[in-house]
Formats: sequence, structure tokens, C-alpha cells
Amino acid sequence: MILLNLFVEGITSFVNNTGLAKLFAATESSALAFAGVDFGTIIMLVISCVLIYLAIGKQFEPLLLLPISFGMLLANLPMSNLMHNVFFVGSGEENFVMDFGQILHEGGLLDLLYLGVKLGIYPSLIFLGIGAMTDFSPLIANPKSLLLGAAAQLGVFVAFFGALFLGFSIFEAMAIGIIGGADGPTAILVTKTLAPKLLPAIAIAAYSYMALIPIIQPPIMKALTTKKERLVKMEQLRPVSKLERLLFPIVVTIVVALIVPDAVPLVGCLMLGNLIKESGVAERLSKTVQNELMNIVTIFLGVTVGATASADTFLRPETLFIIVLGLVAFCISTAGGVLLGKVMYIVTKGKVNPLIGAAGVSAVPMAARVAQSVGQKEDPTNFLLMHAMGPNVAGVIGSAVAAGVFLAMAKVL
Amino acid sequence: MTDKFAQGGVVAVIGICTVFIVLAILWGVLELMRVFFTKDAKKEKKPAEKAAPAPAPMAAVAKAPVASAAGAAEDEELIAVLAAAVAAYLGQPVSRFQIKNYRRIDSGTPIWNRTARRDNLIG
Repeated sequence: MILLNLFVEGITSFVNNTGLAKLFAATESSALAFAGVDFGTIIMLVISCVLIYLAIGKQFEPLLLLPISFGMLLANLPMSNLMHNVFFVGSGEENFVMDFGQILHEGGLLDLLYLGVKLGIYPSLIFLGIGAMTDFSPLIANPKSLLLGAAAQLGVFVAFFGALFLGFSIFEAMAIGIIGGADGPTAILVTKTLAPKLLPAIAIAAYSYMALIPIIQPPIMKALTTKKERLVKMEQLRPVSKLERLLFPIVVTIVVALIVPDAVPLVGCLMLGNLIKESGVAERLSKTVQNELMNIVTIFLGVTVGATASADTFLRPETLFIIVLGLVAFCISTAGGVLLGKVMYIVTKGKVNPLIGAAGVSAVPMAARVAQSVGQKEDPTNFLLMHAMGPNVAGVIGSAVAAGVFLAMAKVL
Repeated sequence: MTDKFAQGGVVAVIGICTVFIVLAILWGVLELMRVFFTKDAKKEKKPAEKAAPAPAPMAAVAKAPVASAAGAAEDEELIAVLAAAVAAYLGQPVSRFQIKNYRRIDSGTPIWNRTARRDNLIG
């Protein structure tokens, strides 16, 4: 009899500790619980499966979306205890301070990996890889493109205002605006600092729009330019000496660091990566940061960013606003770049093709390839790719500077 | 409420100005660099062209060759391709130069650029 009791007790406690029990005996604390069923979690599981399908079936940025969506799935499985958002953002109390001891003692696997996001390590390491993968010579050969990279940050500030109007706080608005920079790691760095609760929505919006650039940009580019402007063939770029390519990362780091110190984690890593590549003396390091390091960090970043998407923070009207504002930001950034391109077209008396302005949004190298393909539709013998790479890599620097300004302003507000 | 928008305005104005100023300064610095270094670049470039009869673009087209004279037929085809490419690059007839030796240069081109080029070739 005692043995049977023990047996029943054992079974009951085991059953009560399964995910299923948790799912169908939801407590009041869950956001979307009706009649004891935790619909919030179920919806999140469905969303993650849809995202996994988009990543594999539709090949939507699979390198990022696959880890993100599976991270979402892992974190939302009831009782899995892999991720505790509460440790990082608190449960609504003011002046919440993160307790690192608690994270280390009680945190699950994803909590520990998420520290890399929370401490700003992954975005900077990704920039190291991007730096090593980027050839800045088109920019050095045609430094005017830096201005196009700046103009294409317009969407950041317009979306920032849009977010303020929709009732977001000023910090949240900054994080939403930075989606317009079209730079995943930058958006993640700003968001984890200023509005950690919005991280999953912003990261997913930023990366989805980057995947959709070939669909979003061309109509805007065509609407804003005339056929004559699109037909402009640009002069071949001058050759860039090795000395210039070596000095460039050093000079950029110093200039940016002196004006916007908060942008240094990103710009500094970007330029270090580039110097490693351009120096030519550290081939092994260059290969490692371009491939292995980049891939490892991408997996960690994706899984943990996905894991922050819990029903409480993700299933809210704000998420929809963010997705809409992100799209607005992307469109306006594209327009900003193209419009300055048009100004340059006029000033240089038709030597600059305004299409390359659209590449100022920093999604490297996608945006440059879009400029190339739109140009080639008008004239198959026109090769804009290298000209568009200039504004494209300038956009990376531009959005990192914009992020630095936001981070700096957030400290004084 | 208005306070929030006033603050927002300040942030946006300072933000966009800083972005433009920083990138404009970099533009200035790069123009300076060009003034100082372009001449050297031209001098360096000339001897480099002669020294390397198989320049980098071909490395992507050519198959990685085995060092010795293995597979003569395949070799001839490869040499024809290389000769044509060199002729096109130098803008001189094939009779003006001889290919004595060739080897694959490990390309320093980043993966992205190579992918983009390949995509453009495919169309």
C-alpha cells in the first residue's frame, strides 16, 4: 500500500512537471491563458514553426532565421527552463538591475549564451567578420559615396519620430529607428541597451527586411529616378594603393572614436577586421574571422535573440507597429540615398548614377547588388556594382555612427 | 508629451547632423589621402602588370592547375584561355607575349565579392 502510494505520488509529480501539464494548467501569470490553456505559448510555438518553414522552405535569410526560429521554439517550450527573460528585463519593476549571480546560478543554456548579446559581445564580433569580408577600395576610390551612406540613414530618424508619435518611449523609439540602418548587429546592440523588451521584434523586423531588400527597394528607386538618370554609366574607379587600404581602417577608427566614442565597439571591430584582411600578414586570422568566428557567433546570436521572444513580450500590438515602422524606415532610407544621388547627379553634371544612392542602406552586399540589377535592367552593359559598393560600405559606417549617437544621447536624457 | 517630442527633435537633429559631419570629415580625409598617395599607386601598378602575366580575375576562371605537365590536352586549353584573357587585359595581340609558366594565385577577394561576380556572370 505504501509502495503504491509512493508510486502514484511519483507519477503525479512527474506528470505535473511535464510541459504538457504546464500548457494545459496555465496560471494567471501567463499572458494569454483562457480556461487553463496557455494560448500564448501555443501561438509562439506555431509562429516559430512558421518561421522555421520560411527559413527552410522559402530560404528567407536561412543562416539567421533558422537559428532565430529554433531559439524561439526552444525558449517557449514550457518547463524547458532554457531561457528566463525575467533575469534580463525584470517583471515590470522600475530601476531593474540585472543580477549576474542569479543568471549564472539559475540560468539555462540560452540564458548563458544570451549574455553575449546582453553584454554587446556578439554584434561587435560579427562586425569583426564583416570588416574582414569587406573591400573598402570602392569607397576609398570614390569618397563622395560617404555622403550617400549618410543620406541613407534618413529613415532611422524618420522612423524614430514615427515611433514617438505611436506612443513608444524615447529609448524604444531610438531602437526602432535604427532598423532603418538596415544593419542587424547594430540594431541588436542599440536595442539590447535601450529597449531590451523589444529585441526579438526589432531583430526579426531588421533581418526580414534585409532579406526583402530586392523586393522593397526597386520600386522606390524607379519612382524617384528618370530613365536618363538610370542609364548613366560611371567612370571606372581609380586603382587604390595598398598603403591607402592600410591607412583607411586606422584613420576611420581614430576619427569616429574622437567624435562618437559610443560607436567604437562597432566601428573599431569593423576596422580591425578590415585591417587584418588588408595587412596580408595575418591570413589565418582573416580566414577565421570571416568564416569560423562569424558562423559561430551567428549561431549564438540567432538562437538567443530568438529565445527572447516570449509570448508576454512578443504577442503585443507593439510588435506590429515595429514591423510597420521598420518597413517605413527602410523605404525612407532608400529614398534618402537616391535623392542625394540625384543631387550628386546634378552637381557632377550627370557623372553619378543616382541608383547607387539606394545602396547607402548598409545591408552589404545585397543593396549594392540591387542597384546593379536595377541599372542593368535599363542597360545590360552598365556595371554599377563596384560603384554601389562605395555607398554600401559607407552605410555600414553611417549606421554605426547613428547608433553611437543614439547611445550617447540616451545617457544624457 | 510635448517634452518628449522636443527631446526627440533634439536627438534627431543632432543625430543626422553628426552622421553627416563624421562621414564628411572622413570624405575630407580620404581626399587628402588620395592627394598624397595616388601618384605612388600609379608607379606601383605598372611593374606589377608585367610581373604577373596571369592576373587575379583569371584565377577565378581557370581550374587549379597541377604544378607539373600533367594532362597535356587540358593544359593546352587552359593556356589558350589564359592567353586570351591576358591579351584582352593588356589590349595587345597574343603574338606579343608568351606564357611560360602559370600558377593559381589564392584570391584575396572577399567571399561576398566573388559571389556577387559569379551571380553577375550567371545573370
